[in-house]
Amino acid sequence: MARSLWTGSLSFGLVTVPVALYSAVRDRDIHFNLLHGPDNSPIETRRVCAHEQREVPYSEIVKGYELDDGRWVLLSDSDLEAAAPRKSHTIDIEAFVEEREIDPLYLDRPYLLVPENEAAAHAYTLLGDAMASSGKVALGRFVMRAKENLVSIRPRGGLLALTTMRFHDEVRSSAEIAQELESAAAPSDEEVRNAMAIIAELEVPFEPEGYRDEHRAHLEAIIKRKRKGQKISVAKAKPAKSQEPAPVAPDLMGALEESLARIRGQDASKGKTAAKPKPKRKPPAPKAPAKRASGARRS
Amino acid sequence: MPRSIWNGTVAFGLVRVPVKLYSATESKRIALRERHTQDGAAIEHRRLCVKEGREVPYSEIVKGYEVSEGSYVVLTKEEVAAAEGPEAHVVEIEHFVDREQIDPAYYERSYYLGPGKLGEESYRLLQTALERSGRAGIGRFVFHNKAHLVAIRTAQDVIVLHTMRFADELASGEGLEPAKPAKQPTKLELDTAQLLLAQLDGKFEPQSYANTYRDAVMAMIEKKAKGEAIEAPESLQVTPEGDLLSALEASLAQSKGSRGKGTAKKRSRPTPPSGNAPKRPVSGASSGNTTKRSASGASKRKRGED
Repeated sequence: MARSLWTGSLSFGLVTVPVALYSAVRDRDIHFNLLHGPDNSPIETRRVCAHEQREVPYSEIVKGYELDDGRWVLLSDSDLEAAAPRKSHTIDIEAFVEEREIDPLYLDRPYLLVPENEAAAHAYTLLGDAMASSGKVALGRFVMRAKENLVSIRPRGGLLALTTMRFHDEVRSSAEIAQELESAAAPSDEEVRNAMAIIAELEVPFEPEGYRDEHRAHLEAIIKRKRKGQKISVAKAKPAKSQEPAPVAPDLMGALEESLARIRGQDASKGKTAAKPKPKRKPPAPKAPAKRASGARRS
Repeated sequence: MPRSIWNGTVAFGLVRVPVKLYSATESKRIALRERHTQDGAAIEHRRLCVKEGREVPYSEIVKGYEVSEGSYVVLTKEEVAAAEGPEAHVVEIEHFVDREQIDPAYYERSYYLGPGKLGEESYRLLQTALERSGRAGIGRFVFHNKAHLVAIRTAQDVIVLHTMRFADELASGEGLEPAKPAKQPTKLELDTAQLLLAQLDGKFEPQSYANTYRDAVMAMIEKKAKGEAIEAPESLQVTPEGDLLSALEASLAQSKGSRGKGTAKKRSRPTPPSGNAPKRPVSGASSGNTTKRSASGASKRKRGED
């Protein structure tokens, strides 16, 4: 079982629910080890005190903040906790809002909350049920690893899912980009209609399982080849400059119409009737064996 | 706007929109470094060759994938880069989906797309079409030698690009074995909880949530810099008094009371819920605990060594 990253309480009103927090992200990346080139032996990282030039154990390491004059203020975990004692142990729910009000720009990392005991499970279930029937998500704040997190909490598959969020001042303004666009001509109605027709033609239900991690597959393939002693052609990695056409489609309307004709042509050849009011495409089909979720790739 | 971090085109159908990529977020975390407790000196991370027991320079370090115990396939940086093939500098949109169908857990990192050279018109067209349709484009692009799944959508009149997590990267909660409640919530409990939710109903207004912890840590650092002692954290365990229902009722009373007086709690809430306060169904909660959050006497739960 995974280890919890934080334990504390989830609090709404005067109801306090002891909970543990788990990451909702599973690490599926292909990991490389650092090796010493000449003999391929593993590299170990040691933490060394720059002053004494000796290795120091974790227990002797604290956090430090550098002042403007170059002096350092050392901060122990309890110092950091003292800065916000309640927030370090409690996720205070401050409001309930509509999910759609939360712009995804604010979302950071997903976690799962789990009740710590039977009594907690009762209040936990109640909160989940109440949120599910109101369709709202909870907003709260807490401190984890010396960082305050704005969080949103929503019921998911019998559990409460928590997502950390960025604070307002951590999301940049898009105003300068919007300004750059002000002088550009607005698209014509016909162009917009055609673009929306393309969108409708390419619309599928969002089925995330259909998308495989190609980067992972590419790395696996290259490792396999190299293991067999095959040479990896590095020249391939150089950007092929002449491959891209001119940066701008000279005729936007022409490109739109040609796109539509092609997409519809493809659909027709696949046996779809052109008369369908809103043809739905099949959800994405993975291009390679999609046995991803089964955990088989660990071997 | 800071400088763009990538240039390319968004391709949907045969339409190509020249774009520039900008990071949409920045961390405002207080910069803390590892220091040695005894003397406050810096902590250096040294790389040692296990076999030779000596520090080795970066130039002698390579990356290896362990194919079996102690046996590695070494890949150079160039070979890892070659895994993605030639970099096409295109965000290829494969599908469009209803934005509402995307679970928030899939969004990973956020970027803004700005118009590239001579791309303003086609950019505006794509942005307008995304806005009117309420759809997000799902596609792929290679960034920093890594193929990413991305979603593009519109917000505040610009196009936003999110890198997306893959389905198998998200944990379903399997294996967590959460504690089970002895009994399901009663109708009365659910109704009362609903009233509490309604009282705390608000709008998400990100500006109204300031990172007060950052300020608190900075204040503490300043105090400490002057040689003042740091107060030890006090234990602030809050436990509901009595049963769940009475805690809910007391919460309702407190929430109402604080709204009436406007002084009971300083906790900032974005928008106070508008006038029509729901009636409390049961009039049992005593008024004594309307402003106090601190726990009744001894805390019921014990804090372990976590």
